[in-house]
Amino acid sequence: MNRNYIILTLIMLILAIGTIFISQRQFTKQVPPEELLWDVLQPTRFVSTDLVAKRIIEKDPSQLLIDVRSASQFESFSLPGAINVPFDSLKTSAAMAYFGNPGTKVVLFSNDGILADEAWILLRRLAYKNNYVMKGGLNGWIQTIIRPLAPAETSSEKVIEQYNFRRAASMYFIGSKTDVNKSQKAKITFVKRKKSVVAAGGC
Amino acid sequence: MHVHDLNPKKTLWAVIIFLILIVVGFLTMRSPLMTYEENIAQSIQTVRDTSSYYFYPYELTDVLNHQNKDVVLIDIRNKYEFGQGHIPGAKSIPSFDLAKKNNLEMLKNFQRDRVKVVLYANDQLDATGAWFFFRQVGFKNTYILLGGYDFYAKHASDLKATKKDQNLFLKGISRYNYAEVAKSSTGSVDNQNTSTKPVVFKRRKKATVAAGGC
Repeated sequence: MNRNYIILTLIMLILAIGTIFISQRQFTKQVPPEELLWDVLQPTRFVSTDLVAKRIIEKDPSQLLIDVRSASQFESFSLPGAINVPFDSLKTSAAMAYFGNPGTKVVLFSNDGILADEAWILLRRLAYKNNYVMKGGLNGWIQTIIRPLAPAETSSEKVIEQYNFRRAASMYFIGSKTDVNKSQKAKITFVKRKKSVVAAGGC
Repeated sequence: MHVHDLNPKKTLWAVIIFLILIVVGFLTMRSPLMTYEENIAQSIQTVRDTSSYYFYPYELTDVLNHQNKDVVLIDIRNKYEFGQGHIPGAKSIPSFDLAKKNNLEMLKNFQRDRVKVVLYANDQLDATGAWFFFRQVGFKNTYILLGGYDFYAKHASDLKATKKDQNLFLKGISRYNYAEVAKSSTGSVDNQNTSTKPVVFKRRKKATVAAGGC
């Protein structure tokens, strides 16, 4: 009967209008709190200063460095290639354009990583993925990359290798050796090759 | 001929059952345990206002000698670390357990009674995530212990004295003048007394008479 169809249509319309009100309550996409807490408690978002340095030196195009400190701090010093997105401006859509792009690993950093971590949490709440936090921040950057401490001579191969990388990276970033351990310096001796006599022959 | 025309009442029943199902569905829908009580702009403001969540190590003294009863310490590290050592009087609730129903209820009661809930982990960064999360889901009485357990353990004998030198535990400040350090020459502290002679390379003399080779 026609009447039944009219009633059905009306019910459907009422339900459809109802869904509009439901979706308006949370118009920005956010991950559920439980999921956010789970992600916050994972340490996987932290990357070491060594890895960041390595990627800068290799000019890895997939790494995007974001400085979440204030604009004045950014102007006085920042990492090479970093972009300034102050923590306060995180809600603006212009700032958001840097995040969530496929194939880009965004590395956030601040003075010691706490502000960057808080920025990470806000971004995760807004469902952005592929963001990372540089552990230790710029203070850690200076301590590990720019002014690395020489490990004890009994340290493992891995530690010494890491130290050598850091010294090389330091030279890359500031152009000079920051610390030279004199005891480790080997004396360079050149052995002169003897003069070749007539017709030393070939292969 | 439409099939419903044979029994018009069937359609009516179908509609009624359909509506009942929807109403029952809505009524029994589980309300989420936690919802965001702050929007993003408010959360940014929360982080900016450090006085609303910093709990200084020297404030612990009043808590430890039971003068300040309006503070609850919660150790959000795992049970093992708690067992290895913790601040006296702290409750051990690993951060994920803190979001369980009974603990949320406890937090709500603390908030109602205006009790400060101070979260701590090994250092400030480890507790930052959990603190920020619980602020966002509405627990405005959540604080964070600066310096964390590591700092406490080092200075437990004289916490009052840490008031003088807050640089020891304050975070978020630059510990170096980055621009100075990053300048190529000033960074080299140990390089000043280098007396090593430059290495001189002597050129090899050209060999006379058909030295041969490939």
